[in-house]
Formats: sequence, C-alpha cells, structure tokens
Amino acid sequence: MPIVFVSGVPFGGGERLAKELARKLGYAFLDREEVVARANESGIPVGKLEVALVKKPAVQERMVRLRDRYLAVATATICEKAAAGNLVYYGRAGHHLLPGVGHVLRVRVVPEPARRLETVMERLRLPREKAEKFIRDVDEDIRAWVRFVHDVDMEDLQKYDLVVNLEKLSLENAAAALCTIAELPDFRPTPASQAAMQERLLRARARIKLALDERTADADLTVRSNEGVLTITYVPRQAQLAPVIPEVLGDLPGCREIRCTMASTNILWIQEAFRPDSGTYREVNELARRWGAAVELLQYRAGGEGGEVVPVEVAPAAALKAGTGGVEDDLPETAAGTADRSFEQTLEALVQEGRSGGGHMVAGGRERLVGAISRSVPYSLVVVGDLFLDKSPAARTRMTRELAMFLADHVKAPVLSTADLPSKLHLGKGEALKAAAAGILVVLIYGAIFFRQEGLLSVLGGEAHKAAPWLASLLVALLAPVVSLLYGNLLASAMKWLKMD
Amino acid sequence: MPMLFGDLFIHLTWANALALVLLGLVGGVISGFAGSGAAFIMTPGMMNLRVPGVVAVGSNMAHRFGNNMMGAKRHAGLGNVDKRLSILLLVTALIGVQIAVWINSALFKMGGGEGHEGGGGAMSNLYISLIFIGVLTFVGAFMLRDAVRPRDSKEGSGPSMKLANMLSRLPLPPTIHFPVADVRISLWLVLLLGLVVGFLDGTVAIGGFLGVPAMIYLFGVPTTVATGSELFMAMFGGAWGAISYAYQGFVDLRLSCLLLLGSLMGVYIGAYGTKVVKEVLVRLVASSIILLCVVSRAVAVPVYLRQLHLLHFSEGWEPWLKGASTAILFAAGVGGAGLVLFYVVKATLERRKVHATLLVRKPAADGRVS
Repeated sequence: MPIVFVSGVPFGGGERLAKELARKLGYAFLDREEVVARANESGIPVGKLEVALVKKPAVQERMVRLRDRYLAVATATICEKAAAGNLVYYGRAGHHLLPGVGHVLRVRVVPEPARRLETVMERLRLPREKAEKFIRDVDEDIRAWVRFVHDVDMEDLQKYDLVVNLEKLSLENAAAALCTIAELPDFRPTPASQAAMQERLLRARARIKLALDERTADADLTVRSNEGVLTITYVPRQAQLAPVIPEVLGDLPGCREIRCTMASTNILWIQEAFRPDSGTYREVNELARRWGAAVELLQYRAGGEGGEVVPVEVAPAAALKAGTGGVEDDLPETAAGTADRSFEQTLEALVQEGRSGGGHMVAGGRERLVGAISRSVPYSLVVVGDLFLDKSPAARTRMTRELAMFLADHVKAPVLSTADLPSKLHLGKGEALKAAAAGILVVLIYGAIFFRQEGLLSVLGGEAHKAAPWLASLLVALLAPVVSLLYGNLLASAMKWLKMD
Repeated sequence: MPMLFGDLFIHLTWANALALVLLGLVGGVISGFAGSGAAFIMTPGMMNLRVPGVVAVGSNMAHRFGNNMMGAKRHAGLGNVDKRLSILLLVTALIGVQIAVWINSALFKMGGGEGHEGGGGAMSNLYISLIFIGVLTFVGAFMLRDAVRPRDSKEGSGPSMKLANMLSRLPLPPTIHFPVADVRISLWLVLLLGLVVGFLDGTVAIGGFLGVPAMIYLFGVPTTVATGSELFMAMFGGAWGAISYAYQGFVDLRLSCLLLLGSLMGVYIGAYGTKVVKEVLVRLVASSIILLCVVSRAVAVPVYLRQLHLLHFSEGWEPWLKGASTAILFAAGVGGAGLVLFYVVKATLERRKVHATLLVRKPAADGRVS
C-alpha cells in the first residue's frame, strides 16, 4: 500500500483528515511535529531555522547546510516509519522528500476559508481582522518554507495526485474517498520503488551520521548512492577527511561499499548509454583531470518528446539496479529500466581513475531530468551526450540540441553537447588563429604605447591634453577594455594550449 | 628620478616597469585568491614607486575597467548578477565617484611638498593615505576577527550574519526585494552603500573591496551574487571613474597596461588557490595582507605631513620611512602571493601522488577498514 502524504495548512482540516484516513485504513500516522522533534534531538534547531527564514534578509550558506540536514532527518524518519508498515503523513508538501519513490499518494487539502477563519478566531481568541492577518502571514511563511526546503511552489497543483476541497466535502466522506484511491494499483509499491526508498534511507542516514560527527560536521560533502554503494565527494582543501569518512559511516546498515572522491568541482555527464572505451569518455575524463573534477553519470532515457512526462513501467528485475543522487537532491522516479553492464563499467573506470562522482538513472520527460539534477552540487559543466537513440540521426540531433538548450535555461552551469566538447579541450585552428591575432594586436598596442611614450603622455596629461582633454577620456575608454579583452583571450588560449585551464 | 609633464608621470625604466608587472602579478594572485579587487596593494604599491597618489588611483581604475567588464560578463552568464541591486547601487555610486574625482583633483592641484614621493601632491597623497588607512583598518580587522574567532560547530564556516540581521530589522521603508540575491533591503541603505562604494572607488579604487563584503555582511547577499553584482556595477562605475580621471589628466595608460600584464595571469593562479586552501585560511591571509598594507601606508604618512610642514623631523628620516613603507608593502604582497603559490604547487604535487579515490570495503565489525 502507498505512503499517503497529506499536505495542508494550519486550522484547515488537513490534519484531522489525515488522522481519519489513517484510522480508516489502519495505517500508522506521522506528522510534521514528530519529524521536527527528531530533528531538534539531532541538533537541528528547526524553529530557529523557520524564524530565520522569515526574519533574515537572505538564505545563507549556514541555513542551506541546516536545511540539508533537516531534509535528511525528515527523509530517514518517514522511510523508517514507512518501512515498518503503512503510513499516512501529514505535513507541508512532504512528498517531495521521496520523489523517486513510486508508491506515494500525494494529497493536497484545500480548506473552507470561512470555517478556517472561525476556527482561528475561536482557538486563538483573535478578532476577525487579526485572525485574517494571522492566516495570511502563516500561509505566506509556509509557502516560503516549502520554497526554501523543497524549491517548489506549494500551490502548484501539478505536484499532487489529488486535491481535496473541503468546501462541500465532509471530512468523513473525503477520508472514505481517499481510502478507495489509496487502494488503487497505481499506488502500490513495486520492488523498484521500494529499492528507491531504501536508497533514499541509506543516503539520509549517511548524511545524518556525517552531520553528527564533529570531524565531518562542517565539511562540504556530497552524498550519492547506487545499489548500496555510497559515493562521498569532498573538496581538496578537506583532503584530511578521506580516511575519516569511512570511519564515520562504518556501521551504516544497507551500505555495501564506501567510495570517497576528492574533487574541486563536478562535471555532470548525461547520456543514454555509457561506454568506458568511447571517445566521449576519454574527453570527459581528460577535462575532469585538468579541472580536478569528479564526473557524475546520469543515465537518461527520455520518456516523451518535447518534455512530455511519460511514465515508465519498471521491470521488477530492475529494482536493485535503481539508484539516485544525493540526499539533498530530490530525485524523481529513478528506475529507468535495467542498468546495463556498460554503465557499471564506466562507473568502475571512473572509480579507478579517481574521478567518480557517483551515478544514477532517470526516465521520463525533460522536467524529470531537471529534477534529477541536484541543486546543491556545484557543477562546473553539464555534458549532454548521445540521447534519443531510438530516433533517426536528424531527429536525434535536433532533440538533443533542444534538450541542451532546455537544460541551459534550468541548470546553473554551462551545458555542452559532446560535439562541442573538443572545443573545450583543445585549441582548435580557428581559436589558435584568433589567439595569434590577439597576440599580434597586443604586441602592436604595447609597442605603440612604449615606443611613443612622449606622444601618449602628451595626450594623457601634457600639452595635447590641455588642448583636448576629452581625447584622453576617449583613449582610456577605448584602449583599456580592448587591451584587457585581447590579452585576456590570449592568456585563456595559452592556458588551454598548456592544458592548465 | 625626473618626472614628466609637471610631476604627473614617472619616467619609465626597465626596473620600474618590471616592478609594475610584478605588482600586477602579486595583486592579481591576491585578487583571485581573496575574491576582491587588489587596489589595496596596487594603489599604495604604485605610490611607493613614486607615482603620485591621484595618478595611481586613476591608472588603477583604468586597469580594472576591462577586467571588471570581463568578470561581470562571466558572472552574468552564471546567473550571479542581481541587476536591480547593481543598478540601484550604481545610481549613487556615479555621484560618489564624481565627488571623489573632484576632491582628489582639487587636492592635487593644491600641491604641497617639494617634488618628493608623489611629486608635489603631498596633500593629495596624505588624503588618499588617510582614507586608505581608515577604511582598510576597519575592513581588515573585521575580516581578521571573523576568521580567527571561535565558532560554534553548528554554525558552519560561513561569514558572520549578525550585522545583516540587525540591519534587516531597521524600519526604513521603502524596502525592495532583489530577486537574484533573494533579499529584501531598505532602498536608503542600498543608495547609501552605492554612494560610499563610489566615493571609495573614486578616492582609492577600493570601492569593490568594501562593496562585496558590505553586501555579504550588511545585506546578507550570497557571496557569489555579491561579487557578480558588484562587478556589474563596477563595470560602469569604474569606467566612469577612469574616464573622469583621464579627463582631469590623471591616468597613465602605460602603468595600466603594465599592471594588466601581471594581474590577469595572477588572477588565474589566485583563483586556483581558493580551491586548495581552507576558506578560513583564505580570509586569514587576505586580512593579514590588508592590515600590513595599512601599516605600510601609516609609515609613509609622516613623510607627507613633513612635506606639508605639519610635522617636523630630520630630513634624513624620510628615506628610511619611505624604504620601510615600501618594504612592508612588498613583503605583504610577495609573502601573501608566495603563500598562495606555495599551496598551489603543494596541491599540484599532492594531486600527482595521491590516487584520489579511496575504494574502501565495508568495515569489519570491530571498526577496522578492510
């Protein structure tokens, strides 16, 4: 049976509906208060975090770190409780904690406004105006919280399976209707969705352990897992953590293996089929070597053209092959079919090179792909490889280009297709010619400046300047950016040629 | 050493040309490393090479003009520029720059001194040095305190947000929401910061150096957005300053070009350094260099005071004071840049040695890693 996530607002009847539903179904009930209590026990001041979010002028790095920890605690609490049996959870868009898990029923409760206002006035003993203001403020705070925690708009109804409007429907009848829907086969767990939940639990537990240990509490780590293999990436300045991380995560249940990768940055490589002996692998690997980057593989199988989200049937055999990204990123449905051997070989090759940033899979439309890309991992580059392999070459080229453009609009990193990758790696003929031309111009400009000093200085501050001071302004306005641009391009090309970019 | 065109421009020799390239390199390394402009070392550095203060400021602004443009373009591509914030800051920054250019030019034309360091512009040099000392003492001490203070491990290692929280509670309507930075700030505070940044940029070319930390510490703007937005603003503010100084005849393009030769290369090295050095150490090194630059300038102040007949001591002390000022400044710059280079080389060598991925099997029950 599914995990039912009921999302609502205070005094809106959502909590009572969730409890009634749990009673009718005979499921365990969990609410946000319990999750917050556990987070507080783990040293995350959720109340302070909420207040800070409302009062403080900006989302700070510290708050983001606390948010990630809170997400890990919330994910672990829900997964542990759901693993023990069926579950109804009441909170604020909590289903975003388990987006890769299929057996989830997402319900949004819309309250009856007049009744809600009366409830607030009665329970909080507030006059009408203050009660109205209270409702407006609390709704805005909750929206801000959901935006901060899940990066989604809580009011976006596309993110729910069902919206229950309590304006006409009674709580009892609404609960009865939900009971029927919860039992539909669409929401039943599959081996794949259960495996995805286990992966989420593993990553959440790993994140919590790393956060609670004083040796790793302040480190900037990314956590990935795939089939029980945890990949932890740390930055070079935290190189001393390499032996510490396995110690911290030593007794983690469900963990088969721990891989620690040192990386200055991350390259995300999206492709449908990976091969360690391909030219693209060599190029991505070369770029990663130069940049000191970890390469993260994302096997993407498009489920629909033009961004249509097409559900993918997950074969039971694929269950154990499913894998997702880090804890802090909420990945959508992950099982994209069987993880082919070449994917594993590519991942293994990266591990041997010391550049593995983990790997995972996703199937569906473009929105799903964007959702699968972690927003807390600082990618330096996204490489879009061969995709849409079942299409004709012309359609494949067009669709890959469109996808790359879509990604460029939605991901905070440069997006390159594999066709453009060589230009990032090697100094091409055109670029070399441009660099040579820039070099010649730089030499000419510097020559003119230093072999005609008297004339130049006269324009800048001498007799000529007295006659026409604007000429000095014009000279500076033209020459300063031009020299910077030419010399900057020349240096960039030289660094690339020396493979030091 | 003879000066050209009424004590405005220095006579360029191979030695001082090389010194300027090195100054640019050191400044570039520190700039790339600390993530801020390096006028705090370049401006006094040029003054130590006998460039009049006002020409040092003008030439430095011209040198940064192109750099800011390229930096702003790169940051804009990464979505780090809050244009609304930049434009509002720019409105008053341009006014600040113009006020600074006017004051600096007027003080330089007032003269003072007898053609020693900085030519006859002892009054202008003193003014620039005092502003420099005042502002950078505050900034350097604040950064140093923030870098060395003990932290609650739960807080993480990000910058202190106490001031930002305090300012956000001030009732100063209208407040404006800045979408990229995701902050809500009083319009008056933004305009005031723009004015101060513009004034400092025009006076000592260190506006960006104050603007970026001010946005982070006072407004709570994320670090990358603060840098990108400041660069975007500085692109226009700096251009306006450089053009204004050029109109007044205080830009020596030879110096700008020589600085550029070293600084662009230095930025690459410095930026790489941030990847291999701990953030706390970055702040510690940057603040130490700033404070040493302050000491260097403070040592030179008595020279200007004597040239203006405001302080009396034996003329024989002057070369010693100027020498000490130069030595401290270059020690700070070369030491800081050397430290960054040391870490860069060390990290590169380590990277070659270390097989970066540790493949660790699940530990045994007794906790030992198999």
